[in-house]
Amino acid sequence: MLSSYLTMAAILFCIGLYGALTKRNAVIVLLSIELMLNAVNLNLVAFSKYGVVPSLTGQMFTLFSIAVAAAEAAVGIAVLIALYRARGTVNVDDYDEMRR
Amino acid sequence: MLADLPILSLITFSPLLGLLVLLFLPKQRSRWIKVTAITATLLPLLLSLWLYADYNGVKGGKPYEETATWISTSLNKEAVGDVSSYTLELQYHMGVDGLSMPLLLLTTIVGVMAALASVHIKKRWKSFYIWFLLLEVGMIGVFLARDVFLFFVFFEMTLIPMFFLIGIWGYMNREQAANKFLIYNGIGSAIMLLAFVFLVATAGFRADPLPDQQQMHLSYSGSYDVIGSNLADKDAYVNMPQLAQGADNPLYLSDRMHWVIFLLLLIAFGIKLPIFPFHTWMLKVHAEAPPSVVMIHSGVLLKMGAYGLLRFGVFMFPSQTHDWATVLAILGVINILYGAVLALVQKEFKLVLAYSSISHMGIVLLGIASLNEIGLHGAIIQLVSHGFISALLFLIVGSIYARTGSTELKDLGGLARSMPFLSGVLLTAGMASLGLPGLSGFIGEFLSLLGLFDSMRVITGIAVLGVILTAVYVLRSVLGITFGAVPERLAAVRDVRLVEAVPMIALLAFIVLIGVYPAVLTEPMQHGFDTLLQQLSEKAGR
Amino acid sequence: MDTTFSQAAWLIPLFPLAAFLLLLAFGRSSRMIGVLLGSVSSLAGFVLSLLVLIEHMTKGQHDYQYAVKWIDTGSIVFKAGFEVTNLTALMLVVVTAVSFLVNVYSAGYMKGDERISVFYSYVALFTFSMLGLVLADNMLTLYVFWELVGVCSFLLVGFWFSKPEARAAAKKAFIVTRIGDAGLLLGILLLYWYMPDHALDFVRIGNAFEGGTGVIAASVTTWIAILIFIGAVGKSGQFPLHVWLPDAMEGPTPISALIHAATMVAAGVYLVARTFDIFQASQTAMDIVAYIGGFTAIFAATIGVAQNDIKRILAYSTVSQLGYMMMALGLNSMTGGIFHLFTHAFFKALLFLGAGSVIHAVHTQNIQEMGGLGSKMKITAWTFGIGALALSGIPPFSGFWSKDMILNIAYHEKPALFVIGVVAAFFTAFYMARLFFLVFMGKPKGERHAHESPPSMTGPLIVLAVLAVVAGFVQTPWNDTLGNWLTDGAEQENGGGGLVMVISAAIGLLGLYMGWLVFVKGMISRDFVSSRAPWLVRLLERKYYIDELYEAAIVRPLRALGGLLNGIDDYVVDGLVRAAGGAAFLIGRGGTRMQNGQVQTYGLITAFALVILIAAVALRRFW
Repeated sequence: MLSSYLTMAAILFCIGLYGALTKRNAVIVLLSIELMLNAVNLNLVAFSKYGVVPSLTGQMFTLFSIAVAAAEAAVGIAVLIALYRARGTVNVDDYDEMRR
Repeated sequence: MLADLPILSLITFSPLLGLLVLLFLPKQRSRWIKVTAITATLLPLLLSLWLYADYNGVKGGKPYEETATWISTSLNKEAVGDVSSYTLELQYHMGVDGLSMPLLLLTTIVGVMAALASVHIKKRWKSFYIWFLLLEVGMIGVFLARDVFLFFVFFEMTLIPMFFLIGIWGYMNREQAANKFLIYNGIGSAIMLLAFVFLVATAGFRADPLPDQQQMHLSYSGSYDVIGSNLADKDAYVNMPQLAQGADNPLYLSDRMHWVIFLLLLIAFGIKLPIFPFHTWMLKVHAEAPPSVVMIHSGVLLKMGAYGLLRFGVFMFPSQTHDWATVLAILGVINILYGAVLALVQKEFKLVLAYSSISHMGIVLLGIASLNEIGLHGAIIQLVSHGFISALLFLIVGSIYARTGSTELKDLGGLARSMPFLSGVLLTAGMASLGLPGLSGFIGEFLSLLGLFDSMRVITGIAVLGVILTAVYVLRSVLGITFGAVPERLAAVRDVRLVEAVPMIALLAFIVLIGVYPAVLTEPMQHGFDTLLQQLSEKAGR
Repeated sequence: MDTTFSQAAWLIPLFPLAAFLLLLAFGRSSRMIGVLLGSVSSLAGFVLSLLVLIEHMTKGQHDYQYAVKWIDTGSIVFKAGFEVTNLTALMLVVVTAVSFLVNVYSAGYMKGDERISVFYSYVALFTFSMLGLVLADNMLTLYVFWELVGVCSFLLVGFWFSKPEARAAAKKAFIVTRIGDAGLLLGILLLYWYMPDHALDFVRIGNAFEGGTGVIAASVTTWIAILIFIGAVGKSGQFPLHVWLPDAMEGPTPISALIHAATMVAAGVYLVARTFDIFQASQTAMDIVAYIGGFTAIFAATIGVAQNDIKRILAYSTVSQLGYMMMALGLNSMTGGIFHLFTHAFFKALLFLGAGSVIHAVHTQNIQEMGGLGSKMKITAWTFGIGALALSGIPPFSGFWSKDMILNIAYHEKPALFVIGVVAAFFTAFYMARLFFLVFMGKPKGERHAHESPPSMTGPLIVLAVLAVVAGFVQTPWNDTLGNWLTDGAEQENGGGGLVMVISAAIGLLGLYMGWLVFVKGMISRDFVSSRAPWLVRLLERKYYIDELYEAAIVRPLRALGGLLNGIDDYVVDGLVRAAGGAAFLIGRGGTRMQNGQVQTYGLITAFALVILIAAVALRRFW
């Protein structure tokens, strides 16, 4: 039972990772990061139910995680909008300020 | 009288005096600059001759030594066993013994000759001679230092001046040669430093009982004597896996570590020597550096490799050397034959000489591998002898190039007609190089081979083949330059000037002197190897 | 016993050394200084040598030895010293005598050469080295002078350095003898480690090996003997290292007489005689010496028949005669070898100087271009004739007695070698007849006006001719003076070889008669052989293709190997270095490319690194 949850989470994570690493649109990258976070959440829940030592801690942790993810998404979008205003693009390839 | 002076420091740093004067000379006054620099190289020569005369007088007596504390800090390390406190004490420790005395003389003599030969330098005399004098300080220091860190400092001190001397005053591809030189030697130095750090951290300490007689105080130092005697002493900390109380000894140097350090040293000095696969850098230097710098390089700097190998590899790790004697001998034979065969097909005289240096350094390896009195004497004499011979040969190369503008064998020929003096010297130098008795090359070669023959018959037999090949390539190149028909272009060249003839005659005189009366070298070397031979015979007896 | 002169024997080599040093310093100031210094120093040496020899003539005279420390490493000492024995005393006289005569002769022969002082300084250096070699009291000292002698020979062969042939010949002479020297060096190394007390002096070597006392194992003895013999083979031009000697004729002719006929090439024979105890201790080595000597004798004699260069013919005859000497030594007769060395030194020097006189007159060395010189150069022709008769072994000339002695020994010891010796003697007489008749008889060829040489050249010829006649009488079948004296009566030569004497004389005469028939009477056509078997003539002319063989078997492969290794050095060894450098550079390049400021790239790298890390951790348990 556990393995199917974990597989599901792994697939979700990989999709997220793929998106985060390859997509050019910053919004989609942010969305992909959310996907990865949700994969982690899925794992946490699955372990809290079917783990070796089942306990509520996992589910509580998930709630934390969702809250943090929401905050992160808000901040992320805010930064993105600021960037868009400054640079006029949402293409991540153009965000290479660190290198210059 | 001499004993009261800090003679060793004087010898080492006397070139700096000239350097100081040079700094205040305007750079257009080339004559003044040259005279000052040559005088500055004469100082260490005279002092070292004085030292030599005095040294032989007190043969077997207390060797010259000078010590002063250089860096001293107490270390905050945990007490282990009966050791309660540590200090790090790096000494300024200079000394001379049977191993370094001949090489010191070689350095100071070749230094003067190279300074004289630098008359062919065409630009920027002032900075040339400043680097030159710095280089000389480094070289002398290497042979006189008695502390591994001091040695390292002097060793590095030779690299930087050499880099600039090659890179600024060399031939066409000088930058590339300088880079290659620096990188190779930098790697060598790094490896050497690693080995030294290992050595100092484990074997390089002196144990003194504290006033309460229970606890010990360890002071780290890089002194050769301390490291050597600790490694040899079976009851020293470095050879005890566990301390008296049963705790693990952090100072213990396992057998495997002995080997690691030995190999590190072998590679580090093998690059400098150079041993077979590490030789390509020195070809470039021979071909690209100005001849007077190559005199120093081939005459002295290569010897630092052999000196280091002897001083650290052989003297400190006699049993590893003993186990690897065959390997060293095979490496030596490879050097001899490889160098000789390649010298045979070179089209450029400087490269012939470069490969011949490789071949001759192989003989040094053979002498070292013999690990007996005869062979080790042979190795040292071969070092000094090759120093003089190759310095002389490159002196000649410089004179030839200054006149003909080429050192390609095909461009040269028949010089014996227009330049009889130079050709005579070249022929004699060639003969010395191929080991003609009566000249210095023979003594070193003969003793090395004789020493090695005792333990390795077949290898010696193969090495003797190299003797034949040496004759072939020396004659091919030397006769190609001096004999034969004179190309029209060279018909009018003039023979050498006095300022060139003087160093040639001087070097030749030393070559003949060593060949006829080798006692000039063997006398100071006596008692040079006593402890090593004793350790080796113990090893063989075990 | 009085040893006054023997004690002063060390002065003998110092005369020419002083002459050499003086010439080196002041040689350019005057043209005559060389002649003067060279002649005077060798004369002084000759006088002193003669005194030493006379002193040693007294019966029961002790050998005198004196040595000083040379290389001293503390506990190991190599000495250098001199020793006067009967053998060395004899050699001293031979060397100084020939050297003096050659010095005088050269005054005329080299008169027009602008580097005459250099020539004389080289000759002085050579005389010094040769005398040092003769006097040396131990193997190491001998080796030192052995090499010096080789260098002098090299310098003199290449004296006319502008000629490419001279350069090649000098190089070849040095390198080929160097091969022999390497053998000798190994022999010395081996000897050193096996001798009791590591002694290298001849006295103790003699003691150690004498009578096979077994101090040194038999196999080691054989090795030592063979290695020493390799040195002798190189120096004395024995097969297969004979190739340098004929080429060495590129040097001035007086040098060919002094070095390449009378003295230096005999050094190999002298070496074997000096270390005779070692050879006597090993029968195998003795056999090798005898057979190599015998083979060389006939091998070179046959080549001599087909040569056209007057000096080369003499050179091959030298090789052949040296073969006889080696054969005698190998047959356990030191007397035979040294006796032939002694007589050969005089008549071969005579022949070469005579040839020099001829070349001086006609300015060619090709005997086909000469002829009828007998009437114009009477002294040269007569003295040359005496030399030729001595070489051909016609009684009562000196060569007959020594050759007869060797043949006699061979007849008793190894009949096969006797046959070889006799056949070689026939060829010797034949090519000498050919040489003499073509040069001095017949009709003059060429336009040049030949004339007799100046007295400074004919004088030495006459002296040598006298010696070539009388030198043989020191040892005849009825008179064992030399043998008794040389070996302290150890060697009793078989007397009464009447049969051998007749054969030996007859074969010499037959050879001369054949030569006369072919080249004077024309009874047998000159191209009798070349028309029937051209391949044979070509084989002899090309010296059995030995040079070509060496070229193909050694020189070229070596050069190819050099080229190959050069490529390896450039592309593999240095290539590896460059590859290492290049790799570092590429890694650096890759590193900068990764630092492109793209967060996504960083993320990708991090992900990959994480995967690798996890894999490593996971897989670690499997090893």
